Amino acid sequence: MYRIGIDVGGTFTDFTLLDEHDGQVVFHKVASTPADPSEAIASGIAELLRLHQLAPAQIAHIGHGTTVATNLVIERKGAFTGLLTTRGFRDVLEIGRQVRPHLYDYGHGKPPPLIAREHRIEVDERIDARGEVLHPLQDGALARAVLELKEAGVESVAICFLHAYRNPLHEQRARAAIERLFPQAYISVSSEVLPEFREFERLSTTALNAVVGPRMQTYLDRFLDRVRALGIAAEPFTIHSNGGLMSVRAVRAFPVRTCLSGPAAGVVGAAAIGRAVDFPSLVTFDVGGTSTDVSLVVAGAPLFSSLRSIADYPVKTPMVDIHVIGAGGGSIAAIDDAGALKVGPRSAGADPGPAAYARGGTQATITDAQIVLHRLNPVALLDGRLAVDEERARRALHDQVAAPLGLSLEEAAEGVIRIANANMGRAIRAVSTERGYDLSAFALFAYGGAGPLHAIDVAAECAIPAVIVPQEPGTMCARGMLLTDVSFDFVRSLIAIAEPASWVLAAELFAAMHAQALAWLERERVRESDRAFKYHIDARYEGQNFEVIVPLADGRAADLDRFLADFALVHEREYGYALQGKPVEIVNCRLQALGAVPKAPLTELSSGGSLASARHGQRRIYFGQRMGWVDTPVYLRPRLAAGTRIAGPAVIEEMSSTVALAPGRRADIDRIGNIIVQVASAER
Amino acid sequence: MNTDERESPRGAGPRRGGFDPIAMEVFSNRLMSITEDMNNTLVRSSFSTNIKERRDCSVALFDRRGRLVAQGTQIPLHLGSLDGGMQALIARIPVEAIAEGDAFICNDPYLANGTHLPDITVITPVFCNGRVEFFAANIGHHADVGGAVPGSIAGGARSIFEEGIRLPLTRICKAGRLDTELLELIGVNTRDPEERKLDLRVQIATNACGVKETHELIRQMGIDAVHAAVEDVIEYTRRRMRNRIARLQPGEYAFTEYLDDDGMGGEPVPIHARVRIENDQLEIDFTGSGAQARGAMNVPLNAVRACVYYSIKALLDPELWPNAGLFEAVRIHAPLGTIVNPKPPAAVGARSITCQKVCGAIFGAFRELLPPQQVMASGNDVVPAIVFSGELARRQGDYVYLETLGGGSGARYDADGMDAVHVHVTNTSNLPVEALENEYPLRVDEYALVEDSGGAGRHRGGLGIARQIRALVPNTIFSVRSDSHTVGVATGVFGGRDGRRARLIQNYGTAQAKTLFSKVARVELAPGDSMRIETPGGAGFGPPAERGLEAIARDLRDGRISREAAEADYGSERVSAALAS
Repeated sequence: MYRIGIDVGGTFTDFTLLDEHDGQVVFHKVASTPADPSEAIASGIAELLRLHQLAPAQIAHIGHGTTVATNLVIERKGAFTGLLTTRGFRDVLEIGRQVRPHLYDYGHGKPPPLIAREHRIEVDERIDARGEVLHPLQDGALARAVLELKEAGVESVAICFLHAYRNPLHEQRARAAIERLFPQAYISVSSEVLPEFREFERLSTTALNAVVGPRMQTYLDRFLDRVRALGIAAEPFTIHSNGGLMSVRAVRAFPVRTCLSGPAAGVVGAAAIGRAVDFPSLVTFDVGGTSTDVSLVVAGAPLFSSLRSIADYPVKTPMVDIHVIGAGGGSIAAIDDAGALKVGPRSAGADPGPAAYARGGTQATITDAQIVLHRLNPVALLDGRLAVDEERARRALHDQVAAPLGLSLEEAAEGVIRIANANMGRAIRAVSTERGYDLSAFALFAYGGAGPLHAIDVAAECAIPAVIVPQEPGTMCARGMLLTDVSFDFVRSLIAIAEPASWVLAAELFAAMHAQALAWLERERVRESDRAFKYHIDARYEGQNFEVIVPLADGRAADLDRFLADFALVHEREYGYALQGKPVEIVNCRLQALGAVPKAPLTELSSGGSLASARHGQRRIYFGQRMGWVDTPVYLRPRLAAGTRIAGPAVIEEMSSTVALAPGRRADIDRIGNIIVQVASAER
Repeated sequence: MNTDERESPRGAGPRRGGFDPIAMEVFSNRLMSITEDMNNTLVRSSFSTNIKERRDCSVALFDRRGRLVAQGTQIPLHLGSLDGGMQALIARIPVEAIAEGDAFICNDPYLANGTHLPDITVITPVFCNGRVEFFAANIGHHADVGGAVPGSIAGGARSIFEEGIRLPLTRICKAGRLDTELLELIGVNTRDPEERKLDLRVQIATNACGVKETHELIRQMGIDAVHAAVEDVIEYTRRRMRNRIARLQPGEYAFTEYLDDDGMGGEPVPIHARVRIENDQLEIDFTGSGAQARGAMNVPLNAVRACVYYSIKALLDPELWPNAGLFEAVRIHAPLGTIVNPKPPAAVGARSITCQKVCGAIFGAFRELLPPQQVMASGNDVVPAIVFSGELARRQGDYVYLETLGGGSGARYDADGMDAVHVHVTNTSNLPVEALENEYPLRVDEYALVEDSGGAGRHRGGLGIARQIRALVPNTIFSVRSDSHTVGVATGVFGGRDGRRARLIQNYGTAQAKTLFSKVARVELAPGDSMRIETPGGAGFGPPAERGLEAIARDLRDGRISREAAEADYGSERVSAALAS
């Protein structure tokens, strides 16, 4: 049987096909079809089946990452949505945290509200902070509010009442009223989407869920139809922002949880590969066309966060902590009016793209600089499927950078890349120091089409001692889909000082979530032997407003003293100190339910092939002013055997990516096919 | 192999006329990494809510002459405020008298160019081969530095002696040893000594981190290359700044904003800014501003400088790097004895509302200088602070709940003003309603946009915020520092109308409803009593007659404007037409 991982990106849809029997993996890429992303998925699967002569019945599992939800928000193509909320609070959605988005630039305004003010309907009801009903919700008023939204023609309704995380009664009644009076509407309820306190983030997340819900349904229907039409019976899964898999049924209810779908898969996959080859701590470095994603993997596990923004709208769900930098292959190099050379954040993206792709792009980009220096193949990329016009790259770089600065073409191209590397290096240092980590204990795990080209210099600049380049780094996210489990996150707010009485309440919350989790695992048809549960508590010292996440051995049987000791340890790790005797407040209780999925075994690569057999001609590459143009042998990565050592100058090419090894550098192929480059710390 | 030459930001890089754009860009990233690392250390390791969560702190690197090289800040009011302490050090301490491992502390507005006492600065020299080459510095807003009231900011303070402990420039570390006695002395003069001492230690450690990173940079590049790159970075900023000034219309332009009173119920106080453009130099003169206030609403000169630098960055070039190159192109004049340059020992704690007006006056003066595309109508230009205090309901002890509120921002050439935001020198988050109600014996009745508060115009001013809070238990005490309730107002531009003023109402919507003044102290609330504040809206841009029908219709549907107000501003015919469209 076979398993397929799919990552739908803006430009390409990537595939990884795994043979469960021998662990062999093959990679594939087709152009994305933004109007209906499922079209590229279907054509790609069909091509894979044909190329490898497989029957649809041989496909046991499909995992996919999708940007559909994110794109709906960014492109403002979500559903026409209404809101039911507590009297006096409909503007919470717009006031937000009352901060302006940019300190100095008033041209950078707040995003338009997800739901127009006229469709934010207030109803008389009020629950207090203890969950007690102060003002009961009246059926008549509720019905009028629902009908008002129905008459306005909304497709989707968000429901968010104050303190619903504590008592969801009124929200449940509102849901029932909509189901009865307006059954066509998509419904998103705050106590289901995010039963956590802090009304703005809960409301924003619930509203986003409502806005993307209906179109996501349409997409999932098409996706399922196409997979069925191919004759594949396996139930497809979607990866969610926390890096786990979710069933189609779960995605329909909580589409907002897919907002980091693809990127999370890449990080989870990187962590799995890192664990396998004894690099448990990684900086993941995913360089795409317009941006670079950076995250930290510590002791084999990604770091998580629970809050980020999509197009300036906050979304709060558990997710891999990914930082985005506006630097990618398409980043544009330009000289400003005071004579500085800036690279990014403006990007030529995939359309019109770098000048060298001859798709209408005329501005000099990082990719053009790589082509001018021949670090990227100056003839064609993607196994010959993407033609490169070197002359256009040279012209753009000459006219826009080299000539105005009085530099040679090589100096200009080299300068553009150095500036890009400096921008990326700064972001990596910021991500590590923000969490208090020392980069000398990490390896840089480079992927995305352009990651490996930047990684060695960036690692040297940041004093990261090693670089890991996985096989087909351009399809890493698709591969990550095959390296993760089914999971679902549950949360409940407690907000109480940690003491024996409240500890009992916490145990009750965990027990309630555990029952929910069991029901969910049943529905997802996870066998008992494959089930696992993880327990965490968000806690803080009394008086603080931000929490640290403390893992618990077992939520039901955990010991209070042990928790307090662990809290102190985590606080010390995150903030550098702990305070003896200061009361600790439990804010949220979290449970993650996991269903183990058979993973792609990381297959040993055969060893012993000769380097010469992997040789595929040579080309001249510019390695900086000191070394200049150097005749450099080209190697085809799929032909490199485990244990091979390659000395620079060398360039290693594969379908989706390239590694350029300067003279003096060395690369090793490890037992599962990663390229490992040691970057001596003395270089810093 | 040795790749130093390639890695080095300067090294083999090309140069043209002494200025190397590639090396500068690479170097500036390294500089920003140093300030980001310092900032992360400060925020991560501090304990107080102010520094850790509100990020009311900033970090900087200066060269040996005291020129600002790089700064990391979340608070515009800190732009250049570190510069004050640095200049005090340069003026007072001969460079030979500084030893490696020394660290200096200061906060006093009159003795060390501080901006108010809660903002404490720590400065540490960076030595290289036995010579001072740079200074690492940081500033943090401490929650309490002693004085008459908790928080050390009392609008009614009569002199700086009521505002807490005064620190002239003083060594807190001598040759690597922390002066624990001095630390203790500072601690016991505040209401939470443990928190103060912890945060001060973190401030000292933050500079140590900056020193280490700077040493590393010097080790990699060599000191000469670092100096050359510093010159390039400052020179680039200077050039970019001069380019912006060169595009302005030469001449003189002035604008006045008003405070309702001096904080003690007196006459309205003008804040007058005159901007003069001559060659590529910019001068801002505050002559004509009101006399220094009897209370604490005075702005020390160094806080005025911060307001000026913020305004210039926002108006001319939001991406401009904060360094000496920005400062050099601007001259500031504020006569001694005025509210924008008080004489000692005037109180200065409650400077922030006045700072907003200073920025508003500068923005106003620039209206005639800038192309209309860059002009913004006045925003709410205040930062109302409401304070509830009393006994905690669910456990022993007292609470103090302080919140600063946003309002409408001014409309622009191509956009309505933003609703419900902080403007100018502050940008702090609200406390969520659910967090407030979990923590304090208070209930929020309403948190909403204020209908009709945005000034009409082709583009409408942003709406203010209404926040109404009810006391649930006896002995709840309420105070407020606000402005633009009676005199101050957001003024429209190019025919746009003014924004609505703020108001404060006790027991709104009841028979006992009572409107209060913008500054009240210690009102006692009984259970069930409420306080409602409505903050000012922003002003409009362009004549209301030019507002599109679609925009009028949308505002009416959304209830951002009432039918009555719309008819008054846009005419009943256009309103009917808008509703029919």
